Amino acid sequence: MDIVHRSGIFKENKPVKRTRLRQEALVGLLFLSPWIIGFIALKALPILASLVFSFTDFHMLNPGETQFIGMANYAHFVRDAEASSSLFGSLTYFLFTVPIEIFFALGLAAIFTSERLKNKRFSRTLVFMTSIIPATSIFFIFQGSLQYAKRLIFDPLGLPPINQFSLLLPFMALWSIGPGFLILQGAMESVPNEIYEAARVDGAGPFARFFYITLPMISPAIFFTLVINFTGAFGGAVLLDRGYILSFSLSPMEGYINNVMFTEANLGYASALAWVTFTITMIITIMLFRSSRRWVYFPEEDTDVEI
Amino acid sequence: MLKFSRNPSRGHDVSRLTLRLWDFTGTALLNLFMFLFLIAYLSPIPFMFIASFTPRDQFTNPNAPILPSERLKFNYDGKDRIIYYVPTDDGVKQWALYKPARRSSEFIDPQHPEAGPIHWDGQWRLLNPVYKFSPTLDNYKNFLEITNLPLLFKNTFIVAFISEIGVLFSSIAVAYGFSRFRIPGAKYIFFLLIATIMIPSNITLVPTYYLFSGHVLNWIGTWLPLIVPHFFGSAIFIFLLRQNFKSIPRDLDEAAMLDGAGPLRILLSVILPQSIPVVTTVALLHFFYIWNETRMASLYLGIRPDLQIVSFGVQRSQSFFFTPETLMVGALLVMIVPVIVLFLSQRFFMQDMIITQIEK
Repeated sequence: MDIVHRSGIFKENKPVKRTRLRQEALVGLLFLSPWIIGFIALKALPILASLVFSFTDFHMLNPGETQFIGMANYAHFVRDAEASSSLFGSLTYFLFTVPIEIFFALGLAAIFTSERLKNKRFSRTLVFMTSIIPATSIFFIFQGSLQYAKRLIFDPLGLPPINQFSLLLPFMALWSIGPGFLILQGAMESVPNEIYEAARVDGAGPFARFFYITLPMISPAIFFTLVINFTGAFGGAVLLDRGYILSFSLSPMEGYINNVMFTEANLGYASALAWVTFTITMIITIMLFRSSRRWVYFPEEDTDVEI
Repeated sequence: MLKFSRNPSRGHDVSRLTLRLWDFTGTALLNLFMFLFLIAYLSPIPFMFIASFTPRDQFTNPNAPILPSERLKFNYDGKDRIIYYVPTDDGVKQWALYKPARRSSEFIDPQHPEAGPIHWDGQWRLLNPVYKFSPTLDNYKNFLEITNLPLLFKNTFIVAFISEIGVLFSSIAVAYGFSRFRIPGAKYIFFLLIATIMIPSNITLVPTYYLFSGHVLNWIGTWLPLIVPHFFGSAIFIFLLRQNFKSIPRDLDEAAMLDGAGPLRILLSVILPQSIPVVTTVALLHFFYIWNETRMASLYLGIRPDLQIVSFGVQRSQSFFFTPETLMVGALLVMIVPVIVLFLSQRFFMQDMIITQIEK
């Protein structure tokens, strides 16, 4: 309701307004200050520091003997097969799991938007529940249920034995749809009913309504889910973090960097690897945002940069 | 006139009936589909539950029954003898193995032990033992002997509680600042905030680890690295809160302002009472985050098992166990708390979430 401010009701006494604006900005900045301090101390400075580290042979055991070694760490990365395969692993994980997650989240959200579904709240919680199960548990749940699936389904039907690791990724993806599902469902429920009514009058069937109304209207939510999943695959902040299992990380690149850091204690090289990941993530993020202009529907009236 | 008006009404009744029938079938099919989907989707959980009550070695034995059971035994001659299904000329008998040998063995009929050993020709190793349903608590006992679960729970609740205060306090303040104040350049600060969501955590890992290590702050082996960063707010929570604060009409704050309420008063008595679902959601997301926390715990609490929090603590004791049944117990016990918390709070959790501007 900016109208009150912008319509110029208070415009008569300008000097008063200016001091009031300055005061408002100061109070506002005071409210923002915790994040700004945290951003500088825990994000901006560490990012710069790790850029500096990445040009040194900084080692945990003898920080005093650190020397500048120029681009040697980056040159090492180019030759390091394990690093590039981890990076590739993170990318494949993202490309493989995100379509599964978005597809199932969209389908479930569409069903949950239906008025006919009973016991919505309970089922919603059940669908979401799997996403908060700690990584500590999830691997054993997976292994255990495979054991039972083998005995109850695969052996009686004479199917070939299952490869555990080929099923783990789809399983993890399916059991992580919670946040995306809730975001998409919230977005679907807020699409104004009048639009559907108008389309129905014009003779649009349920599928036409889904593809031509629902999908475009909720495209910002789809975009948000996509970004959240993407950052998750590279170890960014996620809505829900289930942690990881000892050396087994869902983000192979993150696992490899941790390994370089704590097993080899080679902080300089770990920083260089982190900077490579950071650069790639930022490039893909910018590409995602660029592409969003083509397919994400932003209502005209809002001038803010919104996701 | 009368006839003309009756006919359409009858037709209307018929079409209404078919419509209602169609409607009913659709509803039934939709709910049935959801029911079946949920069963398939959640099926691994009951299996884990069953496995946690399974006696040792049964879980990995392909011939054992699915449900927790133990081998039926018969005490004869001062020793427990395992009972097998023995095929004989008079049909399959349940006999206890008395003297096993490679080609032929001696059995005891538990119904008539006084009759003495019965000779049977065949390889006893090919026989199937008789099982009876008997869930066991041994796995739980074994697990709790090695893992100090009450201590882990206590530590996690303390860390979660303190950091919860910090993350709520600062995220709410910052979100309020973004949603209600005209600050020059706020748009760019907000864009920076969104950008930090996408920054991979490992880029800050090395410098922050160095900062918390003995070289600078010496916080390793304390809870501080797990708690203090949350007092600066969390970008994603600020984003969620700000979107919801923005959707609250400004008329209300202006009315309060005319009544002489300051910014803090407006936040406490106008904004927050209307944001209970989103604040609850943020509080819960943070609780789940701390509960599942393994990264920071492994870095900073690895040397202090007495301060360890639950996810990493259980993970650590899992590396001592080699029987899958006991691992299942750990898996079950560590997930039960967040699941209960989620069900208790389902009324508020993620209800009316506003992620994008089109909503409301």
